[in-house]
Amino acid sequence: MMFKHFSESLSALALLALASTAHAGEVTVSGAWLRAVPPVSPTMAGYFELNNDSDSAVTLNGASADFAGMAMLHGTETKADGQRSMTHVDAVTLKPGESVTFAPGGKHLMLMKLSTVPPSGEVRDICLTFTDHDDLCVPFQVRHNDPNR
Amino acid sequence: MQLLARFLTLCWFVGLAACEPAPPDLPVNDRLGGDFTLTDQDGRPWGLGDARGRVVILFFGYTHCPDICPATLARVAQVQRHLREQGAAGAVQPVFITFDPQRDTAQHLKAYLPWFKADIIGLTGSDADIRAVAQRYGVVFLKSGAADRYDFTHSDFIYLLDAQGRVRKLYPADFNIDEVVNDVQTLL
Repeated sequence: MMFKHFSESLSALALLALASTAHAGEVTVSGAWLRAVPPVSPTMAGYFELNNDSDSAVTLNGASADFAGMAMLHGTETKADGQRSMTHVDAVTLKPGESVTFAPGGKHLMLMKLSTVPPSGEVRDICLTFTDHDDLCVPFQVRHNDPNR
Repeated sequence: MQLLARFLTLCWFVGLAACEPAPPDLPVNDRLGGDFTLTDQDGRPWGLGDARGRVVILFFGYTHCPDICPATLARVAQVQRHLREQGAAGAVQPVFITFDPQRDTAQHLKAYLPWFKADIIGLTGSDADIRAVAQRYGVVFLKSGAADRYDFTHSDFIYLLDAQGRVRKLYPADFNIDEVVNDVQTLL
């Protein structure tokens, strides 16, 4: 009898643990794409949405790709008079439940020192790197146009 | 009342499109613009006067810019594709002027621009000549960064010039393609 109660309690605890694991989500990347550029282009820009559905903060601090000698997080800022400038973004921290969108005219991933310029239609893996999370390596599709417009 | 009835009857017979008011003329902006000559992607002098009789879509940028500039070039190419479908592409000349003559040589522009399939004239020149043209069009640009890795802070308007080379309208870099196509049609 006592063993039965103990066994039931263990099962309940296991279920509870399972439920909490299922509730805590993950850090995910969606809508990842690269803008198609001419083969002689020295740079490419990448765009994506990063969602933090986990229960702890994460800090994105860079990226890497096997076809780019250098990758940086950049921001495009627009001043009141319409002038635009590019700035280096050191890191982006997302609290649990937060998301950030890298989109044309705003934050973007800048790939430099390209060994090859993948053409439109190709899909290339790019790894996003974090200070407090494993790398997230996701496929970026090379496209002519913003899929969100 | 009788006149209105006759007008409506006329519309019915002629077709409603014929009775829509004509689009308003785009005003001439005489504070900006003017003729200039720079060096095209073949290394030859190219002046705005060479495009007389054609509508010009003029814009500034640099090819090392990964975000806004290729997107603007792609949008201009889309405008050209729409106009080509309407049989009007030959009447329009896209012109791209670089801020970055150090890296955007005539040779580099010649390799870079044909990919957009929009018959874009690419212009480069000396820093001083480019700055003088930019000033005429109210374009501001500022170089920043290291000697081997630099960028530009810049204004990124797109200019619609009529067949006499006069500025008729300015658009933001993320302009509406149909709007530009329609505006071009009013100038042909």
